[in-house]
Amino acid sequence: MSDDERLGPPPVEPMSDLAWSRIERALWSRMDGGETTASSDGTPPASRRWWILAAPLVAAAAFAAVVVGTRSSSPPDLVAGDESARVVSGSAPSAVSFGDAHVELDASTTVAMSHEGAQPIVLLERGAAWFTVAPRMQRPQFVVRAGDATVRVVGTRFRVARSEERISVDVERGRVDVQFRGGAVKIAAGQRWVSESPTTILAVADMPSDEPVAPVASAEPARAPTPDPRRASEPLRTPSEPKHVTKALPSPDARPEAAHVTDARPEAAHATDARPEAAHATDARPEAAHTIDAERLRAEYDRLAALEPRDPESALTGYLTLARGTSRWADLALYAAARLAADHHDRRAETLLGIYLQRFPGGANVADAEQLLARLKGDRP
Amino acid sequence: MGYPASAAREHDLELARRAASGERAAQRELFLEQRTNVHRALFRILGSNRELEDLLQDAFIEIFRALPSFRGDSTLGRWCQTITIRIAYLTISRRRPPGVDLALVEESVSSDVDVRRHVVAREATRRLYAALDRIEPKQRIAFALAVIDGKSLTDVAELTETSMFAVKTRVWRARRELMRRARKDAVLSAYLDELQGGES
Repeated sequence: MSDDERLGPPPVEPMSDLAWSRIERALWSRMDGGETTASSDGTPPASRRWWILAAPLVAAAAFAAVVVGTRSSSPPDLVAGDESARVVSGSAPSAVSFGDAHVELDASTTVAMSHEGAQPIVLLERGAAWFTVAPRMQRPQFVVRAGDATVRVVGTRFRVARSEERISVDVERGRVDVQFRGGAVKIAAGQRWVSESPTTILAVADMPSDEPVAPVASAEPARAPTPDPRRASEPLRTPSEPKHVTKALPSPDARPEAAHVTDARPEAAHATDARPEAAHATDARPEAAHTIDAERLRAEYDRLAALEPRDPESALTGYLTLARGTSRWADLALYAAARLAADHHDRRAETLLGIYLQRFPGGANVADAEQLLARLKGDRP
Repeated sequence: MGYPASAAREHDLELARRAASGERAAQRELFLEQRTNVHRALFRILGSNRELEDLLQDAFIEIFRALPSFRGDSTLGRWCQTITIRIAYLTISRRRPPGVDLALVEESVSSDVDVRRHVVAREATRRLYAALDRIEPKQRIAFALAVIDGKSLTDVAELTETSMFAVKTRVWRARRELMRRARKDAVLSAYLDELQGGES
């Protein structure tokens, strides 16, 4: 075997953020159930025994899912209070109160809510949600985790969205701290942060920072089968409407106020970020093409993700179209198509997963694709 | 770690003490610090992430359970690896070898050299671990750590809590058995040659 043909030792494939989140959640459940108590024979607990200890949580989650999934417009929010719960929204948006916070879930969103000590923690497993958090004053910070991003809140209204490993945070009111892979940024009202450019803050012109927000108790979103058009429009931003100001931060822990501002539309700075420190606007049109193309692909991916609950067949077709390219979105789209097919017991799932593993052997979802494929093959009689 | 050995030891001991006392923040810190280390050890021995979610939980449960016995004689990372390897051994020694068709060859659809190499490497790895599934667990672990992961025999002996002589014997027996199984499998045979060529 020549040097060029050497394969090297097999690479250690990393676990996805989602898998680590699942492991961590199950681990704490097991520990809370007393599994770390020393056993007499010194052998570790059986691999599958954890579900017995997690059963109360699963039951609570099932109850929450049933309540959220079946209620109509009239019943009040589900109050999780101080208990741990996992909430899964169905094909329509849902809302849930968690302590003194109000969480509005998009369709097909999963959140797990718990406390670490006195601190309320929400883990966004998938999808997107708006959070309206009462000012904390002397109370512990409210924390939202999504993948490697941790959002700390002192009292605000903001949205966190997660699509595979991509995370975005939009702040409508107040200010939040986002910690991501060793860096930290502060996001103010009217600004957006995305994990793909963790040191860049976008100021979104079409999300007015002074929009009146209903009090927590009456912030119930419409229970129509389609999402709120205002919220639905955000992930669908097209290249023709990149209404944002870009703040390029010199380092992850630099203060946003000290940032240099690059303005795609001169008027946007006035429209969205009138703070005196947000000065030094410059024209960024020459470098916009690449960003716009990436933004277009992302927007299409987000549109298809939102379409999944309503029209899975069209979403699958759309994913396959998006998967034709060679971009990062092709990788994500092909896996999404396979996952969607598997969710709907579509026979194409195995074929798509096989193609995915061949086309993207170093792809972002290889481990998940292999697991899914193994499960599908295992399910087959 | 970026601090002197004594500071590292103090850090490990303090973190272990806090985690053992039930402090969730310390447990989480330990989990985040060690998860890659623990995952790597399991992945090397088992060859894929397929069953690792449950096993990673088991490993950390066992680590937290044993924390009161941590004395700082080795680093916390190495101590966690030792426990992890014990968990891996218990797992693979309990299960029955699966039936895998080693003659199944997946056709690569791409003419791209890099993609093709990836596919060949994946197939070779699959065959290697399918063959390892049929080998005695202690030999498998010694081979995975010494040959695949490239650890020294001394390290493997320490991690598997045995003598270096025993490790040498296990690696030798594992290699002999793998070569026997690779006689009719050119892909596996070539891959074994390559791995053993790179062995220090």
